[in-house]
Amino acid sequence: MINTAMQRLDRSVRLMGPFVVSIILVMLSALPVYVPGYGQIAVEVGLVTVFYWAIYRPDLFPVVAAFALGLWQDILVGSPIGLHALTLLLVNWAIVSQRTFFHGKAFGVIWWSFSLVAVVAAVLSWTVVCVLNMTFISPVAVLFQTLLTIGAFPFMAWFLARVQHAILRPIDTDV
Amino acid sequence: MKHRAASVAKVTVPIKALLNRFALLFLILSTFAIMLLGKAEIVAVERLRSGVVDIVAPIMDGLARPISTVSAGIDRVENFFSVYEENESLREQNARLLEWHNAALALAAENSTLRKILNFVPERGTSFSAARVIGDSGGVFVRSVLINGGVASGIARGDAVISGEGLVGRVTEAGHQSARILLITDLNSRVPVVSEKRRVRAILSGDNSPAPKLAFPPPNALFTLGDRIVTSGHGGVFPAGLPIGRISSVEDGVIRVKPFTDFDQLEYVRIITEFPGEVAGQIVPSTARPSRMK
Repeated sequence: MINTAMQRLDRSVRLMGPFVVSIILVMLSALPVYVPGYGQIAVEVGLVTVFYWAIYRPDLFPVVAAFALGLWQDILVGSPIGLHALTLLLVNWAIVSQRTFFHGKAFGVIWWSFSLVAVVAAVLSWTVVCVLNMTFISPVAVLFQTLLTIGAFPFMAWFLARVQHAILRPIDTDV
Repeated sequence: MKHRAASVAKVTVPIKALLNRFALLFLILSTFAIMLLGKAEIVAVERLRSGVVDIVAPIMDGLARPISTVSAGIDRVENFFSVYEENESLREQNARLLEWHNAALALAAENSTLRKILNFVPERGTSFSAARVIGDSGGVFVRSVLINGGVASGIARGDAVISGEGLVGRVTEAGHQSARILLITDLNSRVPVVSEKRRVRAILSGDNSPAPKLAFPPPNALFTLGDRIVTSGHGGVFPAGLPIGRISSVEDGVIRVKPFTDFDQLEYVRIITEFPGEVAGQIVPSTARPSRMK
């Protein structure tokens, strides 16, 4: 009996894995790194994780999780509160609704799709911030950040795949 | 029985889909609501922000330490190769500073004699609180950092923050043991300033670029490259005379100031928790000072 209760606990903790890992990664991305200029164009870790889980495990990363992760990022990073919540939940919704497209596709296709999503998300958040502040903000930093995020995607996707195998495989095989 | 289950599903599945769609719509609307509330600086939103940051501040503090140790280690190795040149320049600087030291001693002596003659009543001193930077990403749209000190160490919203080099920014959110500092380069930062020599006033207005610009300079104001810009103390939020930076460019009527502080290397900052109403000959009415939580 205890054994099954422990198993159930283990299972539910593992099911929380994708969300918890995303929360930790976003927190790590907010730490100071002392590299000149990096803080302003830091990789959009939240965007990568939401995109990845929306394709590979949407059942474990519902739209509410994307919303919560966005709020978390806004609070830690200091961006206008609600900004990342909006972009991440739209990305989650868009990818989940187009999920069948990604089935069995080569990594190149997925990377290319991520680039499109990253550009659209960047344009959206830039527009929202310009409207919120009623002023024109130079889009150069946004451009660099988007390029950096697209460049970092393969590495992060590789890491998230390792996480997926390590945390979720045991429960997937016994179901 | 099977038939019945299928007919139940026929009803529940669309309802579920409808609910899901509503959930999405509801969440989208709430992000807009949150954005507007955040923009209006509603107290509840700020409490939420500082509350959450308070909880994770110790974790981030612990994680930030090894990174700063590694960064310091790299600096040491870099410095090793320039020890000789640095020593030479420091000798030169030391000789120059000794002259200033003597001048300062003479002025201090003169000042205290004059104060005695005038029966000058000394004001309360300036008090500081020091904190470590634990989060600096800020992102593309905001220039801000998190520090590991808050109301518990006397820090309050609106306090001026300085580094060894000059003004850093001001406290915009103060939690119990953490606070967020809006840097002077941020889009929403406005600081009343004055040029040190000619005493021309202006507002230092950030635009997310590394060099904020001077807004509202008086017509025909004379600003030249290299002029030192300091806080003017108007409005009473900042003490007067805090060094900010030098004028780095004057192009098409846009005057830009390069701050003395290197925002990429911020590790420790000092927060001015209390300062005398009268600094460097400028009188700030006590009512203009922000109310303080103690």
